[in-house]
Amino acid sequence: MENKPTREKLLREFAPQIERISASSVLWILFLLGVIGIGVYAFVTQVTEGHEVTGMRDNVVWGIYIVNFIFFMGMSYAGAIISGALHLFRTEWRKPIIRMAEYLAIISLLIGPGYILLCIGRLDRLPFLAVYGRIQSPITWDVIAISTDIFGCLIFLYLSMLRDIANLRDFSELKLPKWRKKLYSALALGYTGTPEQEKRLKRATDIMAAMVIAIAIIVYSVLAWIFSVTLQPGWHSTIFGPYFVIAAVYSGTGVLIITMFVFRKIYRLEEYITRKHFVAMGVLMVVLAALFGYFTFSDYLTKWYGSEKNDENLIKILFSQYYWPFIFSNYIGVLVPLLVIGIPKLRTINNILISAIIVVIALWLNRYLIVVPTLESPYLPIQDSRPAWAYYNPTWVEYALTAAGVALFCLLFTLGSKFVPVMNVSEMSEIPKSKGPFTEEESLV
Amino acid sequence: MKDLQKIVLIILLLALVVGQKTVTGQEKKDTVSEITPDLKLGYLNTSNDSITLTADIFVKRETGNFALQNAEVEFTASADKENKSLGKAKADVAGTAVLKLYVKSGLPVDKEGKTTFTVSFAGKDKYLAASGNVAFKKAKILVTFTKEDTIRTIHVKAVQVEANNEQKPIKGETVNVYVPRMLSNLKIGEVKLDDNGTGTVEYPGALVGDSLGNIAVIAMIEESDLYGTVKGQSTISWGIPKQYYLAEKPSTRELWTPIAPIWMIITLIIMLTGVWGHYIYAVVQLIMIKRQSKQKKDYF
Amino acid sequence: MDESNEKKKRSRRDFLKKGLLAGAGVVAGGSLIAAYVDKSEKESGEKVRALTTDGQIIEVDKAVIKTPRVSIKESHEGIPGRKFVMVIDLAKCKNARKCVEACQKGHHLPKSQEFMKVYLLQDSDKSAPYWFPKPCFHCDNPLCVSVCPVGATYKRSDGIVLIDNDRCIGCKFCMTGCPYSTRVFAWKHYNEFDEDKEPYSPEAGSPGKEGTVSKCDFCPDLVRIGKLPYCAQNCPMGVIYFGDIDEDTVTNGTETYRFSELIRDRAGYRYLEVLGTRPTVYYLPPVERQFPVDRGFNDLDENVKNRYKNTPYVKSHKK
Repeated sequence: MENKPTREKLLREFAPQIERISASSVLWILFLLGVIGIGVYAFVTQVTEGHEVTGMRDNVVWGIYIVNFIFFMGMSYAGAIISGALHLFRTEWRKPIIRMAEYLAIISLLIGPGYILLCIGRLDRLPFLAVYGRIQSPITWDVIAISTDIFGCLIFLYLSMLRDIANLRDFSELKLPKWRKKLYSALALGYTGTPEQEKRLKRATDIMAAMVIAIAIIVYSVLAWIFSVTLQPGWHSTIFGPYFVIAAVYSGTGVLIITMFVFRKIYRLEEYITRKHFVAMGVLMVVLAALFGYFTFSDYLTKWYGSEKNDENLIKILFSQYYWPFIFSNYIGVLVPLLVIGIPKLRTINNILISAIIVVIALWLNRYLIVVPTLESPYLPIQDSRPAWAYYNPTWVEYALTAAGVALFCLLFTLGSKFVPVMNVSEMSEIPKSKGPFTEEESLV
Repeated sequence: MKDLQKIVLIILLLALVVGQKTVTGQEKKDTVSEITPDLKLGYLNTSNDSITLTADIFVKRETGNFALQNAEVEFTASADKENKSLGKAKADVAGTAVLKLYVKSGLPVDKEGKTTFTVSFAGKDKYLAASGNVAFKKAKILVTFTKEDTIRTIHVKAVQVEANNEQKPIKGETVNVYVPRMLSNLKIGEVKLDDNGTGTVEYPGALVGDSLGNIAVIAMIEESDLYGTVKGQSTISWGIPKQYYLAEKPSTRELWTPIAPIWMIITLIIMLTGVWGHYIYAVVQLIMIKRQSKQKKDYF
Repeated sequence: MDESNEKKKRSRRDFLKKGLLAGAGVVAGGSLIAAYVDKSEKESGEKVRALTTDGQIIEVDKAVIKTPRVSIKESHEGIPGRKFVMVIDLAKCKNARKCVEACQKGHHLPKSQEFMKVYLLQDSDKSAPYWFPKPCFHCDNPLCVSVCPVGATYKRSDGIVLIDNDRCIGCKFCMTGCPYSTRVFAWKHYNEFDEDKEPYSPEAGSPGKEGTVSKCDFCPDLVRIGKLPYCAQNCPMGVIYFGDIDEDTVTNGTETYRFSELIRDRAGYRYLEVLGTRPTVYYLPPVERQFPVDRGFNDLDENVKNRYKNTPYVKSHKK
C-alpha cells in the first residue's frame, strides 16, 4: 500500500477532468456536433442523390474517402503499435502518454472503416460481405482483419484501463452521479489488486500487447495489399506492405504528439508531460521519418530507374501536376523532423509540435499521391472530354465528411478523457520515487 | 358522415372525367398518322419437302425501324388462277412471322413449275394494308460423301421439280458448301453444277465437329431467281471431336474461381484461430479476475 | 464400357447445346392446308404475355432486340459447351461509333456509360496512330473476378465474365483491379435504366442499377438465340468478329472465318499480353488499312471529338 499516497494525489488532481464539464468544453462539444451534423447532411445527400455528388468518377473511383480510410487506420495501428511496444518494453516514459496511444488506436479504428463504407455504392447490401464472402478478395481479408483488430484493441484498452476504473470506483471523494459510479463498479470487475488478480491482469495485458502489435502489422499490410495486388502502375509494388506500416506509425506518432500537446494545455499536465516526453516521441518520430524516407525513396527509385512506360508516366505526373504536394509529402515531411529533432538546440516542445503537424499533413498528402495520380494514369490513356472524368476534384460532400470524421475523432477523444483520465494513473503511481513519475535516466527508451 | 360521402362521390366523378379524357386523347393520337408497313417475304427450301416462309413486318420512322409485334399476316400460294390460303401467323417480338410448310405435293404450280407465295397484312388501327410476294420453282439438293485413301470428297446433286412432278437436274447453278456454326455458316467450298446437276468439293480437314466428331455439311443455292434459296444437308463423322473448355481445369493457383485455393483457407484458419485463441485467453483471465473477487467478498 | 459412357456424356452435352438453338423453328408433317404449323404464334404468344395482355400491335425498336431472359441462376452458369472469342480488325475501324451507339441502345445505357470505348492509340511518337475499339476482354485470368468480395462478378463456363447487379455492393475494387479501364459505375439512377421494363438479368446486363458496376457482357442473351452482340451486328465495316473458339469459327455477320486461320494469316495478338490476364479478345493489327486514320474524325459530336484533342497525334497535327 505504499503507492497509495501518490495514487490519491493523482486521482485528486485528475478528478476535475472527470467530474465537471466546463462551459468551454460544452461549446467545444457543440461545435464538434455541428461539424458532424454537416457531415450527416452530406452523407444523406450522397445516399439520396447517388455518388454523383462526389468528385469520384469512372477513372478515379476512389478519392479522399479512401485516403481518409488509410489515414485513420494508420493512426489506429500507430496507436496500437506504440502502446503495445512501449508496454512490452516497460519503457518508463510511456506512462503519462500510453493511455492516449490506446485511445488513438481504438478511436481512429472506429472512424476509419466508416470511410470505406462511404465508397460503397450499395450500403443496403453490406450483409452480402458475410453471406457471399469470397476468401480470395483482399476486401474480405480487410473485413476480417479490421473486425479482429477492433476486438483486440477494445480488449487491450479495457485491460489497461481496468486498474484505473477500479481506482475511480474506490476513490470516495469523486463527485459523480450515481450511475457513473455504478458503471465504474460494474466495469471494474471486482478488481482489488490482489496478487493473483494482478498476475492475471499482467499476463493478459502482455499477451494482448503483443497481439495488438502483430495484428496491426497484418491488418495494415492487408490494407496495403488492396492496392498492390492490382496491376495498376504505382500500386503494383511488393514494398507496399511494410511501407504502409511504417507510414502509419510515422503519421500516428505525429498525431500522438499533437494529442499530447493539446491535453497538456487543456488539462494543465505540464507537471507530468514534460519536454522529455516530447523529445522521446520526437526521437521515435525521427527513426520513423528515416524509415519512411527510405521506403519512399526505394519505391520511387525503382520506378524511376527502370522507367517502364507507365511508371515513367506516373512519375512525370507527380513531378508536374502534383509537384508541390509531392515535394511537401516526401521531402519536407521527412526532412523537417530530421532537422528539428536531429539538432538538439531545436528540440523545443513547440518545434516538435510543428514538425508533428507537418508530418501529419505530409502523410495525408502521401496517401493522396498514392491513390489519385495512379488512378488518373491507367494503362489505357484516359480519353474523355469531361474534365471531371479525367481529373479528380473532391466536392463539398467529401470535404464535409472528412471534416466530420476529424470532428468525431476529437469528440470521442474529449468524451474518452471525461470517462477515464487521459493518463494511466495506476501505472504512474507505481513509481515510489519522490521526484515524480519521471526520472532523468529513463528519459530515452 | 354525409360530407364524407359527398367528398368520395366528387372524387369518383372527377376520376371518371379525367380518366375518360386521357382515354379519348390516346385514341386521337393513334388515328392521326396512318402508316404503311414494310413487308418482306423470305423463302427457304430445305430439300426435305419442307419450305419455310418468313415475313418481316416493320415501319420506318425517323428514329429507326420498328417491328410490329402481334401484327397478323396471311400466307397464300398461287399459280395461274389457283389460289390457296396457307394460313395466318402473328409477328413475334422481332416483327417476324414464320410459317413452316411440309409439302410433298398439292402446291399450285404454273406451266414452268413455279409457285407464287404471297404474304399480306390486312391493315389494323393506324397501320395500312401491305403485301409482298415471291415466285419460285421447287428444287432439291442432295449431299453425299466419299473417301478414297486420304482424300475425302463432298458430292452435291441438285434437281428441280417440273410442273408434271418430273425431276430434272439443275445445270450451271453455283452451289455454296458450308459447315454450320453456332452463329453463322463457315464456307468450305463452291461448286459449279455440271450437266448432270452434280459437282464435288474436297473436304478441307481440320474442321471441328461436335464432341463425337460428327459434322454437318450444307450445300446451298442462294437467292436464285428461279429457285429461291435451296438447302441440302447431311452429316458425316469427319470432324475433329470438340474439346470442351469446361474440361480444362484451371490451375490450382488461379484466384478467380468460386472456391479459394486450399492453402489460402488453411492460412486464414491458422491465423484466425491463433489470434482469437489469444483473445479468448485474455477474456478468460478477466473472467477469472471477476471470479476471484467474488470469492473474496469480505475484502470490501 | 468407360468409352461408351464417355460418349453418352458427350452426346448429351451436344444435345443440350443443340437444344438451345432449336427454338428457331420446328417442322411438322401433314397434308397441305392443314400442313402448316403456326409455331410462331405460340411462341410470340408467350412473349406477348410479358409485355401486353390484349394482343394489340406494338412497335418494337428493331435496334433493341428483345430476348427471353434466363434466370439469374442460369446466367451464372453459362451456355453449355461454348467458349466465346472476339476478334477486332483494327485495319477496318474508322471510328464510326455505331458499335458504341448500338450497345448503349441495346443495354439501355445513358450517354455517359460506354461498355465499348473507342480509343485513338499511338504506341510511340513515330509509330502510326490507329482507332482501337475496346470491349471487355473477358480474361481467362480475370483480376476483377479475383478481387470481388461477394462473387458479384464471375466467370462462366463459356468464358464470359458477367456482373450480377443484384449482388454487387459497389465497392469498385474490380474497377481498380481491371488494368483495361473496362468497367463503369452507375453514379446515379439514370433515366435510361427505366426504358427497360423487363425483369433484371445479368445476361442482358439491363436494366442498370444505381451504385453498382457494369461493363461489356458479350451479349450472351443475343448469342443464346444465335445473334451476334450489338457491336458486331451494327458495325458498318464488319470490324468485330465473334464466335466459339472451340468451334474455331468467328463471324462478323457477313464473313465467316476459321479463327485459327484468321489469327495466323493476319498476325492476331492480344492487347497487353504482358499483364498475364489472358484476354479472349484478339486484335488484328492495323495494316493495309481501308481508311486513313483522319477519317475517324468525320461526323463526330463535338464532345466526342474533344476526347482526342490531348492525344499526341492530334496535338502534333495542330502544330
